[in-house]
Amino acid sequence: MPVHVSAAVAGRVGRRPEGLVDLLVEVGDRALDLAGRKPVDLLFVGAMAAEALGETENLVPQLADRLNLEGAGGVRVDAASASGAAVFHTAVQELAAGRAERALVLAGEKMTSQPVAEVTRVLARSLAPSEQAAGASMPALAALVAQRYVSRFASDPAAFDAVTVQFRRSAQGNANAQFPTPVSPEEVASSRLIASPLRLLHCSAISDGAAAVVLERGTGPATVLGLGQGLDALALVDRTELTSFKATRTAARRAYENAHLTRKEVEFAELHDAFAPFALIDLEDLGFCGAGEAAAWFLDGRTAPDGRFPVNPSGGLLGRGHPVGASGLLQLVEVARQLRGESGSLALPSAPKTGLAQSIGGLGTHVFVTLLGSAGTEAAA
Amino acid sequence: MSEAVGLLVNGCATCHGRYLPRPGRCPRCGSDRVSPLRIPPKGTVLAATELSVAPAGFTAPHRLALLEASDGVRILAVVRGALPTIGSVVNVIRDADVYVVVDDGSPVPGGGPA
Ligand SMILES: [Zn+2]
Repeated sequence: MPVHVSAAVAGRVGRRPEGLVDLLVEVGDRALDLAGRKPVDLLFVGAMAAEALGETENLVPQLADRLNLEGAGGVRVDAASASGAAVFHTAVQELAAGRAERALVLAGEKMTSQPVAEVTRVLARSLAPSEQAAGASMPALAALVAQRYVSRFASDPAAFDAVTVQFRRSAQGNANAQFPTPVSPEEVASSRLIASPLRLLHCSAISDGAAAVVLERGTGPATVLGLGQGLDALALVDRTELTSFKATRTAARRAYENAHLTRKEVEFAELHDAFAPFALIDLEDLGFCGAGEAAAWFLDGRTAPDGRFPVNPSGGLLGRGHPVGASGLLQLVEVARQLRGESGSLALPSAPKTGLAQSIGGLGTHVFVTLLGSAGTEAAA
Repeated sequence: MSEAVGLLVNGCATCHGRYLPRPGRCPRCGSDRVSPLRIPPKGTVLAATELSVAPAGFTAPHRLALLEASDGVRILAVVRGALPTIGSVVNVIRDADVYVVVDDGSPVPGGGPA
């Protein structure tokens, strides 16, 4: 049976004084208000490092207590930096199976209370043990992927700068964004080197933030049309491809099949741009353009909000900030709000009816693709 | 290939894949017909990066190279000297639990062609 998003709330992303539970309660309370305080059967929570970075345990009862949801049931879901999408998928499947009527789905991350080195160390635990032993980090492996991408497709490295420039420009209209100020290509290209060729402004930030949606059985402008997920080898050296994420290709194929849709029917997307080159790889892996073609799309504005295929009109992870476990749900909130006509100044001129969100866990190891829209109103799962 | 100088890898008798030693079955085909063998300790540099901030236990700048050795074996190696050029061939050794690029690709005794 079909499931739709009946309320979608994004919290402000950035350095927040609140702890993880308070961040989640704030967005959860607003979502319950928007949904008219109707009874909720399920409380599902996504977070990556609630313990190591958020310094909290036992999240579901902590939140049920604060949100007066002791009558509900629920679990915490973790899929590294795709936790926010994973928890959405899990809740949709529970509702679609007829086991519940209405779910409150929360996802959040608290990252700024720890020193940067500790955050980097915790995030690097997502990598293969052999990679951790070599002193690899997320930016290090992303840099190696970016280099392979540039050499394989002879891409203009300025495309990476163009990604950041576009997303920072879009984030200007996003009241919840951590970086609502535009940057020039020169500023991106001259920002501090983090892991050559990746510079500071090519990398998403360390952020606190949370998102909430209410899911209900039935249909609406933001009905779940399809879900798909995919996995890949944990270590980069064991991948068959270095310039594409197989997990995204698998997740996309499954989501399109699940929705009985093709990529041609998708009108815009929120993609996982933890590093600027990922936006190019994502666009190609999802089938919106061929391998090596995405650079031209970002350089000539096809991916801008008024372009042929808008990407990350919310500002993406680079503009909004990347509270890791929350990002997947923040993306889905943005897609749902576009479809529901709730995006305000971020509203796309094309008034789209079908959108896609893609969330990456780890270094391309676990990917979730979600299709939302009004067309077809096919039941997911 | 001398036992002392080759790089130890796993070879799969089912899919003929070669990969760095790891516990369990072949990561490509799931076969348990896996046995150790040695390949020349050299690799072509596919990509290399320099990290401005070193992870705990390493000193900045920390350099890493992604190498392709013989039989399609890929290796993530620590670079202790200058960052190697993409496409160059370098020598690699295993030092404790990490692989290390030891020089710019000049021959190592018994290394043989990569
Ligand atoms: Zn095999």
